[in-house]
Amino acid sequence: MGRWRRREQRARSPDRSVLKRGLRRLLEGSVLVLMTALAVTVVVGVTFRKLGAALVWYDEVASILLAWLTYYGAALAALERAHIGVPTVVDRLTGRTRTVVVLLAETSVIAFFAVVAWAGWRVVRVLGGTTLVSLPWVPAAVAQSVIPIGALLFIAAQLASVRDALSAAPVEEREP
Amino acid sequence: MMLLALFALMLLLITVGVPIAVALGIVALAAILVSGGWAAVPNAGLVLFDGATSFPLIAIPLFILAGAIMNATGISRRLIAFASALVGFIRGGLAMVSISASLFFAEISGSAVADVAALGSILIPAMKRRGYGKSFAAAVMSSSATLAVIIPPSIPMIIYGVMAEASVVELFVAGIVPGVLGGVLLMFAAWLYARRHDFPVEGAFDLRRVRDTLREAGWALLLPVIILGGIFTGWVTATEGAGLAVVAALAIGGLVYRELDPKELRRAMLEGGIQTAVVMLLVATSALLGDYLTEQRLPQRVASGIMALTDSRWVILLLLNAFFLVIGLFLHSAAAIILVVPIVMPLVRAAGIDPVHFGLIVTLNLGIGQQTPPVASVLVTACSVAKADIWEVTKVNVRFVAVLVGVLVLVTYIPIIPMALVEWFYR
Repeated sequence: MGRWRRREQRARSPDRSVLKRGLRRLLEGSVLVLMTALAVTVVVGVTFRKLGAALVWYDEVASILLAWLTYYGAALAALERAHIGVPTVVDRLTGRTRTVVVLLAETSVIAFFAVVAWAGWRVVRVLGGTTLVSLPWVPAAVAQSVIPIGALLFIAAQLASVRDALSAAPVEEREP
Repeated sequence: MMLLALFALMLLLITVGVPIAVALGIVALAAILVSGGWAAVPNAGLVLFDGATSFPLIAIPLFILAGAIMNATGISRRLIAFASALVGFIRGGLAMVSISASLFFAEISGSAVADVAALGSILIPAMKRRGYGKSFAAAVMSSSATLAVIIPPSIPMIIYGVMAEASVVELFVAGIVPGVLGGVLLMFAAWLYARRHDFPVEGAFDLRRVRDTLREAGWALLLPVIILGGIFTGWVTATEGAGLAVVAALAIGGLVYRELDPKELRRAMLEGGIQTAVVMLLVATSALLGDYLTEQRLPQRVASGIMALTDSRWVILLLLNAFFLVIGLFLHSAAAIILVVPIVMPLVRAAGIDPVHFGLIVTLNLGIGQQTPPVASVLVTACSVAKADIWEVTKVNVRFVAVLVGVLVLVTYIPIIPMALVEWFYR
């Protein structure tokens, strides 16, 4: 609840930077579209299966949508600082020590996703002409593109919310 | 040696505030770099993608979505009215209402925090008005929502099922009897407290009121019966059942109740999307590390190490329970399941423990962990709704936590309690 209240407050006082506002709009839009698409795909899939005309692409497309939701949602979670962590130590630090430790953590996260973006890009290039198993007209690279794009979005979200992490009143834990 | 260094690196990263999912990924990348060099890194891109494409896990966002839709249709109000007509006449009536409404609500939503937020925001202020004390109000809400985690559908159970390669359907079925048993015991503990503090009752029992409120809440209660029925009979898979739950929730909210608040729905969908992504990122990066740990045969080494000390199933269950209780102090259920379950599964199987039985133990155990600070998301949510101090609430909550631990002991050592229905219908 605390989180939600805080989010409402944030909605009233708009994000300071244009980048952050744009990023939030983009990520929220993606998550809403992907959640809806996932639900529709599963419902259509099960309906056709029960009607005796199973769709070959249903499992594969639904699984890919879940992977997309994972990475676009993860970037949104980064913007909201909602990923599960153990903030016990950092919350007790103040002043310079806190700044140094927070920046160390931020750098580690960004470095990780930079490597992931590179790795994902390599995968996309190597895949070249291969296509999905069940939908031969969809290049596998399109599905895999979520890794490099998601990683870059994660970095952007992390950068856009650094200020929150530095000044944070501790973000409440959440239980999915 | 290498394993120790990686473990130390992970602890360091987590301590300085790196999210657990990312810390796992960094450690995995370090392991890949050391054993395979840069040439092996691009493969990480593939693993991170494949790790997030698990079909059974699609049930998570869908159950969250269905719960969010139901919640946006004012369902909590109706369930509370029904529960109030049913058990409100007992001393400490609102506490009974909280516990039973939590159990009803649990059949729609898969997440304890969502239960507390949805029901607590109505019931906690109500209990405060009736003089129950905010600490008691928060404690009863928090512990009954935790119990709700083992009542199907349950998101931790879905995650466990995938991680342990156990049947999600059987896990769901195994949760029913312990869930009801725990509910009754929680009510008894609340009744004792209410009697001592002379809490009021909520009007006499009136069959007509039960009928009227049931007419309102009936649709919402029918929904889980149909969907879980579809899943239990094998008519649809758990994931497909979750998809149907979304459709049914839309139909009931839009056509029957006709009050679907679009703003609330959008907020809940975003919240659900974030929750899903947080769990899924953990799943994906743990797949990256899992490849390495499997190569190092860590799970097998843990199994043979412990089996060399004892091969008593009961001692091993005791050790695992103690281990999970400690882990639950510091980690959220999802994170703990994703991190620990793959490592202990070979041990569990070698000791002859049924993976479904073990799944129920893990879910309940980690649920209890959400009642105990420092990391106690369910308790924290209840406290923030009640505006109560965590330690004051914990003092009252001790009795309810004791009840939950009691249920855990029963479930652990009398396997027939969770497994009877499973054995009966599926084995």
